[in-house]
Amino acid sequence: MVQFFLESDRIAEFVAHLKGHKPVFAPHLKGDKSYAFSLVEDPAGVVLDYNRTMHSVKKYFMPPREKLLTFDLTENSCEGGQVEPVNAIFLGVHSYDLAAVHRLDHNFAEGQAEKNYLTRRQGAVFIGVSYEPDQYHFSGSVGIDPQDTRGFDIFLTKLLDGYVLEVLTPEGEKLMQGLDLPAHETGKPARGHFQQHIYVPQTKLNTVMAAGYDNEIWEQTAKKCVGCGTCNVVCPTCYCFNVEENVDISATKGDRQRSWDGCMLRDFSAVAGGEVFREGLADRQRHRVFRKFKYLSDTTGKPWCVGCGRCTAYCTADISIVSIVNHLVADYEKTVVAPI
Amino acid sequence: MTNQFSSDTAPIELKDLYLPVMAEITDIKKMTELETLYTVQLPDGAELGHKPGQFVEVSMFGIGEAPFSISSSPTQRGVFELGIRKVGMLTDVMSRYQVGHKLGIRGPFGNGIDVEKFKGKDVLIVAGGIGLVPMRSMINYVIDNRDDFGRLIICYGSRSDKELLFVDELKQWTDDPRIEYHVTVDHGSPEWTGKTGVITTLIPTLDLDLPNTVTCVCGPPVMYRFVLLALKSKGLPEGNIYMSLERRMKCGVGKCGHCQINHTYVCQDGPVYHYPDIKALQEAL
Repeated sequence: MVQFFLESDRIAEFVAHLKGHKPVFAPHLKGDKSYAFSLVEDPAGVVLDYNRTMHSVKKYFMPPREKLLTFDLTENSCEGGQVEPVNAIFLGVHSYDLAAVHRLDHNFAEGQAEKNYLTRRQGAVFIGVSYEPDQYHFSGSVGIDPQDTRGFDIFLTKLLDGYVLEVLTPEGEKLMQGLDLPAHETGKPARGHFQQHIYVPQTKLNTVMAAGYDNEIWEQTAKKCVGCGTCNVVCPTCYCFNVEENVDISATKGDRQRSWDGCMLRDFSAVAGGEVFREGLADRQRHRVFRKFKYLSDTTGKPWCVGCGRCTAYCTADISIVSIVNHLVADYEKTVVAPI
Repeated sequence: MTNQFSSDTAPIELKDLYLPVMAEITDIKKMTELETLYTVQLPDGAELGHKPGQFVEVSMFGIGEAPFSISSSPTQRGVFELGIRKVGMLTDVMSRYQVGHKLGIRGPFGNGIDVEKFKGKDVLIVAGGIGLVPMRSMINYVIDNRDDFGRLIICYGSRSDKELLFVDELKQWTDDPRIEYHVTVDHGSPEWTGKTGVITTLIPTLDLDLPNTVTCVCGPPVMYRFVLLALKSKGLPEGNIYMSLERRMKCGVGKCGHCQINHTYVCQDGPVYHYPDIKALQEAL
């Protein structure tokens, strides 16, 4: 594996070099303390040392709103929405966010493969960056290290005065052509420590969840929860969507769009006639948490939560997914007699 | 390591899952105040190719899309039927449609009824209210392949005699010596001469060859628990029970998440479930 040293002073040069290949999307400061992925115009605006972006790179492969078809009401006809490959470089992606993209890949490729997502996904190159876990990150508990290079084309690991740059795929090699960086001879620094942990090995999470279906934590959480759906919207592995019609002001044409939806919202499970199949907030909280740690994990063997901490960091009611899971773990352990 | 999405073009020729085909309404029969039966024909008379118990997504541009059970049997060729209750915006608009109007259709979706599991057995259909719409697909399939099945027993419950669906066919079922048809209404009008009471009252009096009877149940959410109790106290083995469930199947292709019951997607693994597979799912029944 080839390793280079990217000095802090040369980051802008590196970004400018990347821009010569493909459009580059990277984290930028938004307001005083938030970060967001956006198209790089000025290389100096790129921030590689950040805690988390409010939304993950999911928004580029499954946009918050997307046209599924356009229709003509005079003709009563329709045609499919046009989708283009994203074909871009994603710079400064944290390991949990790429892990989330891989889970989305599974969702949209499994069963009936979906053209919209899989087309957009084409041509995406990922350059990862290590991060220092803050009070919300817990991806170590779901098997994703801050320096996890799996799936990246290039990975940057932070040193005091720059980054160790590892080239991991032929696509990564292509991007490095024409950029002269010194080789990095010494090792990589130790990874940062997590402040948040789920207190059970991830292989046991399914069992803990199954035992916690009727736990009182769901009602306790429901007392605080306001059902706003923020946790769904910021989650990098939530992919549920709603479909809506938009009619043009001429009332002769329009389009059908899908938009991000959330299982924490009451109408999510409503059917015509008024029946709501997941009425209580406790039921909805359980559904959300079970989707991350049980339902999809049972079939794929992987937790669907990647430990980014967004749902907790942005929760309007101060609900922590780690606390919920640890409550279940603690109650589960009470029921298990420890072997001597 | 390789990047499997490295190609910058869209090389994979994938079908657009969300694009409907335009089908024509060829007949409309008003069944009750709220329910109407629409006969629909795909372009060039193409077959829908469905199984009993499956559903389609019906589109009306500018209004939206919603899932509807297919009410006709696959043995009916060239066209298919949708029995639709006027209950929301889409169905309200649809109730004003005329013959010749076109609808967008996607599907068929869902697993449908595995008719092989019913072949050679006595078939018991338990349908509550609008639950008869999907069950009629199975009933007519059995009638059209009569010798493949044992007895055909139909238990149908409706809120009132004014809300009975497919009344012409109900009469045929009553007259057909090879169909055991039982009906009850919750509240009968003065003209009603039949049984009064909820659907569960029909089950205890049935004379069933229990090990050889397979049932499919469909009705409003509240009905399942009580019908199950009645079937179990009758002694019907759990493994002989199938049920068709309703949820909000928005995309029909296992992507949008709306129809999920615990771990299962109704649009993929359902809407027809084998009772032993879902009896432990608290969100199901």
